[in-house]
Amino acid sequence: MHPLDLRRASSLDETELAEFKPDLIIVACDSPDRDTLESLREATHGNPRPVVMFVDRSEPGLAEEAVRAGVAAYIVDGLQPGRVRSILEVAMSRFQLMQQLRVDLAKAQSDLASRKTVERAKGLLMKERQVGEEEAYAMLRKLAMNSGRPISAIAADLLSFHGVLKGGKP
Amino acid sequence: MLPLDLGFVALTDAAVLIVAKERGLFAQESIEASLHREVSWATIRDKVAAGLYQGAHMLAPLAIAARLGVGSDPVGLITPMSLNTNGAAIGVSAQLADEMGDGSAAALARAVARRVGRGDAVVNFATVYSYSMHTYMLRYWAASAGLDPDRDIRIVTAPPTAIVGRLKSGDIDGFCVGAPWGSACEAQCGARIVLEAGQFWPGGPDKVFGLSEAWAAREPEATQAVVRALLRAAIWADDPENAGELAGLLSAPRYLAAPRDLIAKRLVRDFVGLRFSRQAASFPWRSHPAWIFSQMLRWGQVDRNAGPARALEGYRPDLFRTAAADVGLSAPLTDSKIEGAYDGPWALPGSRGPIPMSSGMFFDGKQFDPDSLRDYAAGFAITRLTD
Repeated sequence: MHPLDLRRASSLDETELAEFKPDLIIVACDSPDRDTLESLREATHGNPRPVVMFVDRSEPGLAEEAVRAGVAAYIVDGLQPGRVRSILEVAMSRFQLMQQLRVDLAKAQSDLASRKTVERAKGLLMKERQVGEEEAYAMLRKLAMNSGRPISAIAADLLSFHGVLKGGKP
Repeated sequence: MLPLDLGFVALTDAAVLIVAKERGLFAQESIEASLHREVSWATIRDKVAAGLYQGAHMLAPLAIAARLGVGSDPVGLITPMSLNTNGAAIGVSAQLADEMGDGSAAALARAVARRVGRGDAVVNFATVYSYSMHTYMLRYWAASAGLDPDRDIRIVTAPPTAIVGRLKSGDIDGFCVGAPWGSACEAQCGARIVLEAGQFWPGGPDKVFGLSEAWAAREPEATQAVVRALLRAAIWADDPENAGELAGLLSAPRYLAAPRDLIAKRLVRDFVGLRFSRQAASFPWRSHPAWIFSQMLRWGQVDRNAGPARALEGYRPDLFRTAAADVGLSAPLTDSKIEGAYDGPWALPGSRGPIPMSSGMFFDGKQFDPDSLRDYAAGFAITRLTD
């Protein structure tokens, strides 16, 4: 186990936060700094930090419910010190999982968009050059290889140039 | 009695919840409501998400962002009614007011340019949350004078109650905050209010009642009872005869813990005054989430290809109309309207006769058609939605 490098602050200090770069921030539920912390997290998209909160009353199932609802973790009062580390680890791993899901989703969406672009460019070539599907795809692939650019970029160029040639606005 | 836990932040626009509790309007509907004061909007959102609260006083854009999963995982939230219009204000420190001369955005742009020329610190503004009308109003206003809010000024987030202190310490040069905290900045540190929400967009959205979608689905009758109690509370809060009593209620230590006179200042019936019920102030117009979504697109808070459908579906004029009929309140017949279309008094068709309305003009005279929100978002000189 790595030792934890822990810092305490009675209120949020942005300069210290930027310098310390914590893996995890634990904040009391009634802290007025929560909204500021969230806005900082949004401002630094590349470096989001999971926030763990302590709540002031203990209700069965609350922590699980909160985690399911998307807060990195809620921890209730009366917690045994021995459990803190495992809860923090659960919060972090869940947070990393959610981050990975977000990245995957964004990639899947962009993959889908580029596949549609390639399909449309292929259709255009088939119509304009009177060729079959395989040949149209081979033409795109050759263009991509010759220029060293992704096939989706070539397809997008082809579609926009075609638009211009047909009198559309660039 | 059905137990109900609701969250709120210490602001004048939490009035409808507080009145429903204190005037026995919840009890009249057999609801035993507990109101919980919170100091952060994120905690309000999370506690509704976790089922600790069934509903809450919320920033209209927060309810939308949470529903869309922007800034948090998606939260099942609906908006059966608005809690107020007007009340927020942009203000500047006495020093920045001197540098500006007048209170226009153009004067701010000149002051910013002079500071840059002298190599002085950038002008700092505080708003209450990234997803708030306060943020959109400040960004819109600054951008109207050619200031890029992400480059030419700095916008930080601070809780409403902390803004007075940060202004005093010189941490910030200006703010956009809800009542009564703008008035508190005026009274305690000589700040000058330069733009009221009632000037920026009279009748525009501000706070809403955000309700757990799962709870509302499970308890349709209780949902109606809650909305009825809140609509009656809004009618009571809006009556000028009750303004003094309302200010007294809100000033209590467990609610706003603020001076009664300060609260009363924004309960007047002029352009700055909060509206709770009159002019269809409590109706959940779907053109409101549409406008808010347009600003999310404009400032790059949502993916440029995202659509507004999910945001709009969270607003529930159907739930409002049913409750309004029971309360005897005239409800608008349409779900949406062109915003900023009228410059003067007009009559809005309602279920129980026309509803008197006044001007809803944006300060720059622009109109917003919810059916072309993308073009609107892309049409500003400063926007992140470019082709």
